[in-house]
Amino acid sequence: MIAIIKFPGTTCETDVYKALIEAGVPTVIVKYKDFDPDRYNGVILPGGFSFGDYLRAGSIAASTETMKKVKQMAEDGKIVIGICNGFQILVESGLLKGALLPNLKLRFISKWVYLKVIRADTILTKGLDKKIIRMPIAHAEGRYYVDDIDYAKTHMVLQYCDENGNISEDVNPNGSLLNIASIANEEGNVIGMMPHPERASFKLTSIDGTVDGLILLRRLGEWA
Amino acid sequence: MGINLLPIEMDEIRKRLGREPNETEWRVIDAVWSEHCSYKSSKIFLKSFSIDSPNVIMGIKDWQDAGAVDIGDGWAVVIKVESHNHPSAIDPFNGAATGVGGIIRDIISKGAKPIALMDMIRVGNLKIKKNVWLLKNIIAGIAAYGNSIGVPVVGGELSFDDTYNDNPLVDVAAIGIVRKDKIKPSIVDKAGLKLVLAGLTGVDGLGGASFASRKLSGEDEIGAVQIADPFAGKIILDVTLEIADKVEAIKDLGGGGLAVAVTEITNGLGATVDIEKIPLRVKNMNPSDVIISETQERMLYAVEEKNVKEVCEAFEEYEYPCSVIGEITNEPVIKFRYIGKDLVSLPTNVLLNPPRFLWPIKNTKKNVEEKIVDLPLESAIYTVLTHPDLVSKGWAYSQFDYEVNTSTVVKPGDADSAVVSLPNGKLLAIKADANPDMCAEDGYECGKGIVAEAYRNLATVGARGMVAVDHLQFGDPKKAEVYYTFVEAIRGIGEATRFFNIPIVGGKVSFYNENNQGRPIKPTPLIVMAGLVQDKLLKNRVEDNLYVVSVGYTRKELGGSLLSKIFKIPSQAPKVRLQEDLLSSEVVIDSINEGKITFAKDVSRGGLAASLFSILVHGYGVEISTKSILSDTDNVIENLFSESSGRFIVLTNEPEWIVEKSKSKGIVASIIGRVNKKTNILTIDNIDYNLKNIVDNYFNFLEEVMGNG
Repeated sequence: MIAIIKFPGTTCETDVYKALIEAGVPTVIVKYKDFDPDRYNGVILPGGFSFGDYLRAGSIAASTETMKKVKQMAEDGKIVIGICNGFQILVESGLLKGALLPNLKLRFISKWVYLKVIRADTILTKGLDKKIIRMPIAHAEGRYYVDDIDYAKTHMVLQYCDENGNISEDVNPNGSLLNIASIANEEGNVIGMMPHPERASFKLTSIDGTVDGLILLRRLGEWA
Repeated sequence: MGINLLPIEMDEIRKRLGREPNETEWRVIDAVWSEHCSYKSSKIFLKSFSIDSPNVIMGIKDWQDAGAVDIGDGWAVVIKVESHNHPSAIDPFNGAATGVGGIIRDIISKGAKPIALMDMIRVGNLKIKKNVWLLKNIIAGIAAYGNSIGVPVVGGELSFDDTYNDNPLVDVAAIGIVRKDKIKPSIVDKAGLKLVLAGLTGVDGLGGASFASRKLSGEDEIGAVQIADPFAGKIILDVTLEIADKVEAIKDLGGGGLAVAVTEITNGLGATVDIEKIPLRVKNMNPSDVIISETQERMLYAVEEKNVKEVCEAFEEYEYPCSVIGEITNEPVIKFRYIGKDLVSLPTNVLLNPPRFLWPIKNTKKNVEEKIVDLPLESAIYTVLTHPDLVSKGWAYSQFDYEVNTSTVVKPGDADSAVVSLPNGKLLAIKADANPDMCAEDGYECGKGIVAEAYRNLATVGARGMVAVDHLQFGDPKKAEVYYTFVEAIRGIGEATRFFNIPIVGGKVSFYNENNQGRPIKPTPLIVMAGLVQDKLLKNRVEDNLYVVSVGYTRKELGGSLLSKIFKIPSQAPKVRLQEDLLSSEVVIDSINEGKITFAKDVSRGGLAASLFSILVHGYGVEISTKSILSDTDNVIENLFSESSGRFIVLTNEPEWIVEKSKSKGIVASIIGRVNKKTNILTIDNIDYNLKNIVDNYFNFLEEVMGNG
């Protein structure tokens, strides 16, 4: 069973829930105070504006008791996925290295992007090496930065690219270091990503009918 | 704190009460009787709207926060439109953000889940720095609030006119969805219910309703602007939907604060409120200020005593203030007490029945002397198509989280209407339309025109209009020429909605929109229409070699068009021929359902030229012959830039089918051209016009102006 955690201000819990059901993954939405890590094999921190993103995106959620439990799950090798605000919470709480800075244009950006799979050894991207996928982003603070370029190069999972997989500054929507859209820990069980796979999981609402997000989420099935 | 009431109203109050109200009572009356809350200058005419329709569940009844219609399978759609014009002129970020918060609270006060927002923004000339600042902060404010609460902004309008230089229009519409049998009223029907207030009351927005009901003074009015707290708004949203089953009535605290909410929720009964029980954001707030404060993110619930605990516990989980502040009484008197002492004691019926006003009307329009239109085509094309009204609004909507909810099927910028999916599997199309330039020429034709345009826009995705709300924005109603246009516009809207059989289930009026020289804005009535996709949905697609078919007659009526505005061409406003709008819309819907077209665009702002341009921005070229346009004029300029109603262009592989279909419906259509692969080239009567600069301008204009602003 995968838990989807709802903090006050989380907005994407129902979307992630619907997408996981579509992907055939058993899941449940849990309010952050009610979260019992022993009952789940994995946890998703969905997008939104936890605690209003007051102070700094994700920072208040990062200091909750809930995140201590999530950290324990990560250390136990269980699955921990942060999408958008969830990614921001993961870096704020130190589960992943680096920071998510305000977009270079200093404004919220909602957009469908192409992404290239760099690491095929994570739970979500297994077998998708070098594949180009399409998902939407929607954030104001998604510019990934880390002061260790080697760490970035070896841990990045997805990079913003064009439709042919070329990675260049032109297709970097927010100014991320190395066009990074997603990183994971070395073991590949803790993954943070700015793009929203749950929003690329339904043909009806997809920009071009593709459901690449669903392809990623389906991989949770064997763990859940 | 100034009181905004007219001397005649103050005399009326003294007469009805038989005494002089105290200062706090004057402030309560000022709020409840404000134009903003009481509709005293508009209500008589609003009664003329068509509101009867079998699918209406909740219409324009007094003191309901939003209207609702049945969409089948036990579901209802709730719809509402509002503006935050005055606050946005002073503090655009908070003014626009609280506009979103306010309309969302109207939707949840029906127990409905908000599923879509639209924003309709009108600002002055972007060559003036202040307007760039206003627009940037208006969009940022809408984004900050809408994104934070997880409701997608799926569409809207962004247009420009010099009359909005000091007075931008910031309109927001929202759609909600609720089980039909779970809709909550905003009024009570029995005494004894407890009044429960959620949220803290602060010193912001003091006298906001009164402020919105007069001209901007140019003095320091920041204290009347509310401050937005979207996180609190999200908690109010989540918890209200959680407890909706446990309460008898829900009322948003908006204009006029507690004074208005408490008065309206009573529905003619009475209420007693103990001010000391109201949780405050600041210490030692003046009790009289507490009553009229417009602090956002507050809701009032009428609750059976046995359910009070459960309701407040739901808020406590989020550490959000919730308390019983009073109760509904049988005695029809509104009482606000402070530590046992009556501060306000006013009969409910006095408050709920302000005097109605009929202001003088005067038609100051002179007949237009028409001239032969003689403009170089190239310059007309360039000037009209680079006008900011016609450029891509990507800069604005890319700041909105329009994908949240995973229900946005037709996304901003993709078509003339937005489309969202509903829980019963049906698809709902939504569109808002206004046409201030046409309204400035002829309020009546414009009133009809905006209803017809919204109806056509819904047809382009395969939907038929089923419900509408209106928003009427004008200058000072006491000016006879302003009030004349207001009355004319209402007549037009009423007539057209009756023709299309579309009930108006709610609306809003905003007067006193003027610049700092006292010049009114162009009259800006606006219609928000929603309808269900009938069978198939059209997602626009352009392909090489498709035929361009024009449906409907073109007329040489240039009045109120973008061309005549830019080139100052005197001309008659178009006559809106509603039957042609209806029939051509039916042709389009039928063509979509039969799978015959890949692209549909109504002909409106910028005329046929702008509709053809919307094909070019897909990276294709278009070739047309103006001789093939069915029209009452040979003049190429008039054919290409007229904005007369009842028309579409569609792209198809089977042009004859469309022409025959039209004939069978009693309307005309003709093949006027073809799509080709010559990117950026518009070929008119065998002459190529390279529009590369205009296409570039289309994509870059707002980015450049706003990005560096």
